[in-house]
Amino acid sequence: MIQLKEIDKYIESRFQRVFILKGINLTINEGEFVTLMGPSGAGKSTLLNILGLLDEDYAGEYWFGDKNITKMRDRDRSALHKSEFGYIFQAYHLIDELTVYENIETPLLYRKVSSNERKSIIADLLDRFNMVAKKDLFPAQLSGGQQQLVGIARAIAGRPRILLADEPTGNLHSAQAQEIMEVFQELHKEGTTIIQATHARENADFGTRLIQMLDGKIDQDEVITHV
Amino acid sequence: MWKNYLKVSFRNLQKRRLYTGINLLGLTIAIVSFLAICLYIHHEWSYDKMYTGYDRIYRLNQEFRSEGQSQLVSSTPSSLIPTLIDEVPEVENGTLIFDISIFSTVMVDAGDGNQEEKEFAFADENFFEVFDFSLISGNPSQILSEPNLVVLTKTTAERYFGTALNAAGKAIKIDNKDYTVSGVMEDFPSNSHIKFDFLASFKTHRHGKDPEWSPSNYYTYVKLKSESDPQVFEGKLGQIVDKYLGKDLAEYGYETAFFIQPVTQIHLGDQSLGSIKPGTDIRYLYIFGIVAILLIAIGVINYVNLATAEATERNKEVGLRKAMGAGRGQLFGQFVSESMLLTFASTTLSILALYLIAPKFASISGVPLNLELIISPLGLILMGGFIVFLGVLAGIYPSLILSGMEPIKALANKTKIGGGAWVRKSLVVFQFFVSIGLLISTFVVKSQLDYMQGVNLGYEKEHLISLSYHYNMRDGIEIIKNEMLRSGAASSIARAADMPIHVKAGYRVFPGGDNPREFMITGYSVDTDILETIDLELIAGKKFTDSDIQRSDLEDGSERFPVILNETAVKEMGWTAEEAVGKTINLGFNSNSEIKGVVKDFYFNSLHFQVSPLVIFNDPDQSNVLLVKLPEGNPTEHLATLEGVWKELVPDRPFNPVFVDQAYEKMYSSEMQASVIFGIFSGIAIFIACMGLFGLVSYVALRRTREISIRKVLGATQENVIQVLAADFMKLLAFAAVLASGFGIWFSNKWLQDFTYKTNLSIWPFVLSISLVFILAILTIAYRSWKVYSLNPAKTLKSD
Repeated sequence: MIQLKEIDKYIESRFQRVFILKGINLTINEGEFVTLMGPSGAGKSTLLNILGLLDEDYAGEYWFGDKNITKMRDRDRSALHKSEFGYIFQAYHLIDELTVYENIETPLLYRKVSSNERKSIIADLLDRFNMVAKKDLFPAQLSGGQQQLVGIARAIAGRPRILLADEPTGNLHSAQAQEIMEVFQELHKEGTTIIQATHARENADFGTRLIQMLDGKIDQDEVITHV
Repeated sequence: MWKNYLKVSFRNLQKRRLYTGINLLGLTIAIVSFLAICLYIHHEWSYDKMYTGYDRIYRLNQEFRSEGQSQLVSSTPSSLIPTLIDEVPEVENGTLIFDISIFSTVMVDAGDGNQEEKEFAFADENFFEVFDFSLISGNPSQILSEPNLVVLTKTTAERYFGTALNAAGKAIKIDNKDYTVSGVMEDFPSNSHIKFDFLASFKTHRHGKDPEWSPSNYYTYVKLKSESDPQVFEGKLGQIVDKYLGKDLAEYGYETAFFIQPVTQIHLGDQSLGSIKPGTDIRYLYIFGIVAILLIAIGVINYVNLATAEATERNKEVGLRKAMGAGRGQLFGQFVSESMLLTFASTTLSILALYLIAPKFASISGVPLNLELIISPLGLILMGGFIVFLGVLAGIYPSLILSGMEPIKALANKTKIGGGAWVRKSLVVFQFFVSIGLLISTFVVKSQLDYMQGVNLGYEKEHLISLSYHYNMRDGIEIIKNEMLRSGAASSIARAADMPIHVKAGYRVFPGGDNPREFMITGYSVDTDILETIDLELIAGKKFTDSDIQRSDLEDGSERFPVILNETAVKEMGWTAEEAVGKTINLGFNSNSEIKGVVKDFYFNSLHFQVSPLVIFNDPDQSNVLLVKLPEGNPTEHLATLEGVWKELVPDRPFNPVFVDQAYEKMYSSEMQASVIFGIFSGIAIFIACMGLFGLVSYVALRRTREISIRKVLGATQENVIQVLAADFMKLLAFAAVLASGFGIWFSNKWLQDFTYKTNLSIWPFVLSISLVFILAILTIAYRSWKVYSLNPAKTLKSD
């Protein structure tokens, strides 16, 4: 589904190039639940951003199915971005001025989903995450775990095939983290491809594949077997 | 989608109350000014379009030519219109108006005693057919068709008879002649160049019964047939002149020509032609239009500046939305809808505010604001367009900046809105350039007005009053004069043709006597006491004496008619003042006028014009006013004494004293109005610009709170902090001040060009304007930095 060929990402500093990613070759198949691990500065987030089409400033080739993203026109890339990807952030990144309901609605609006359809999608999501009673609250009125649930609901509202999560549990305590990871597992079972970056080894156990990164390179790539 | 945009926009505006408040207030004030000016301009532009077939109505003006000199006037002979109607096939109809207010007032008595009226005119029987003003009572074709009929306006009818309907058919005395009120008309619309309280039938007048080709005292209007070509019509006017006037004119060495002016162009046209109602200089409309646009620009700039300054804080939102799939267009839409919401709110508020200020505006500008124009269907559509236009104008740049941020950098809060800074700086410079520029203009206009008030006119206008009297009072006028002098409330009294502020009568000096030259000269009829009464300085020869008149009455050609000239007249003849005394000149009507004295030049006309040659006649019977010099002491008491004398001697005529210095000021009312309007607008501009500055400083202060706290901990005083915050802005202001000074110099030269006698361009308007704006700006910044300074550093630093 996704194939990265010789991806380099560097910052041009005064005297030398500082590589953030160097020579990344990676293939991710549909339905995988991939965990990126590694110390800070290893390039996890950068790789995630490149995968999620949020960062276009790199060298190398990015194939999505049979399409070469790097050679795509802006408009097509933007369409692809809208239809295939969902994002979850460590800091939740909900829009403070919008209610729970409206936060979830936003990506649907950008996808020009009809009003009736929006209502039913959001109703399903609220129901699924037990947030029906909280739909009119603003983010500041929710706990961290709840906010992240809204973040997930928002990310999957547009029914993306790939879900990208950057430290989704980084700001949460362990019980909340556990809950979020279970949700991920469930989404994975339903067929969503998930790529997450994390520091927590236990999160990787929910997935099917673990990629260890070090200094901008892939250090280890192993399959997680579930007992 | 739009619903969502609006909702988000609304919440954003709500969240940033300070900025929203600044923007809302600034835009509202700007829009109120803008709309008021638009309505004003619309009113001035809409003149004389209410008559049926107004585009076929023309006023006939006249040009006199003689030896290379040309004079244009709007008055024409009384024979012109009957002749045109009879002989020129292009003419559908036409009418004549005789505005007697330029000569004298009338006394009107409807049974309750005499009242002095100024707005009185005669009009011929076609008046209401050409100008179809609506009538409350009366038949338009008949109400002016017989002698001694008068039509009143609604207000006048109510003033004299209680109600408009009550007035019809009533008897009324005008200058002791009996008239019948034949009809009542609605008041003249404010956008008609014709405006009177009374219209009497021209048939009452001598020239209404027997039209003549002289004098040219009448306004003539023609309505052409719809198929007629105005050019062809104008061409035929030459034949009329040749046929009826050619011979007489040739005798006097004059040439005359009639030309047409569309009635709709009278109000904004050449003001020197003269008109029933003073028109508007079209240049003022252009200036006001530009000012209106500048004010809107200042308000919009506040929005642009604050929105882009804020952009750094909205990074996260933009990044997120992009991550969620928002296209640039969609983000753009969202931010524009925010500015649109704001302009919508401001415009709505402005319209409400306009209703509140309309009466005040009308009293300052003399023009009623027709607010119905705004709420008419077309008006509402225009308002809608205006809101969208303004919303896009204000929103486009911030929206482009915001929607153009890269999502990753935006999310990481790494975007520095450095690129926008120079734009913001130039906009601030522009705002203050406009503010300071307007302020300088105001002070320049003001200093010229002060100059005109304070200039030595060559005569004394303080403590001088003018009492107009009717020609039929002239036999008793000496008695009134003597009684007033005896009462002690007058130190000197002279009879004169008019107040010395504006002497109008034009004469011509012909070669003859001792003088070989021919030129135009202004004539001023006075009596023997004029020199003392208005303090004219005699530089050669003698004053008039009572015996002068008796001698000139002989008219046997052997005696000489004494005149006094001003310096300019003497110079024009090529003599010195001393040489001139005793010489004779030819003034046409009397070939042997003897120069008895020469006075120092004084300003007997508007300061727009150069002092021209003047001849002063000792001819009290041509006089219309008593000029009374009040002695030292309380003028109110003196006036009361004078009124007592007047009431006793002329009980049937009201006592209406006019202070000459006030009448003098009135001559410059359009300049005065311009100075008031400039003053108001520059105040508004400065206010809006300072509010914007406050917003920007607040933003900077907020961003630098930490820095300021550290400085405070390190021992910075409040002044240091103000310096830190003010330094950048002061540079911008200084730059704006330099630009504005350049503009000010250009403007002063341009504006003062119109005045022959003008104040020197001084540095004060510039110093005053610039320091005023700087002080306001520093206060604004100081207030904001005081608030930051007073924060507890322990708290502001802890959060990091």
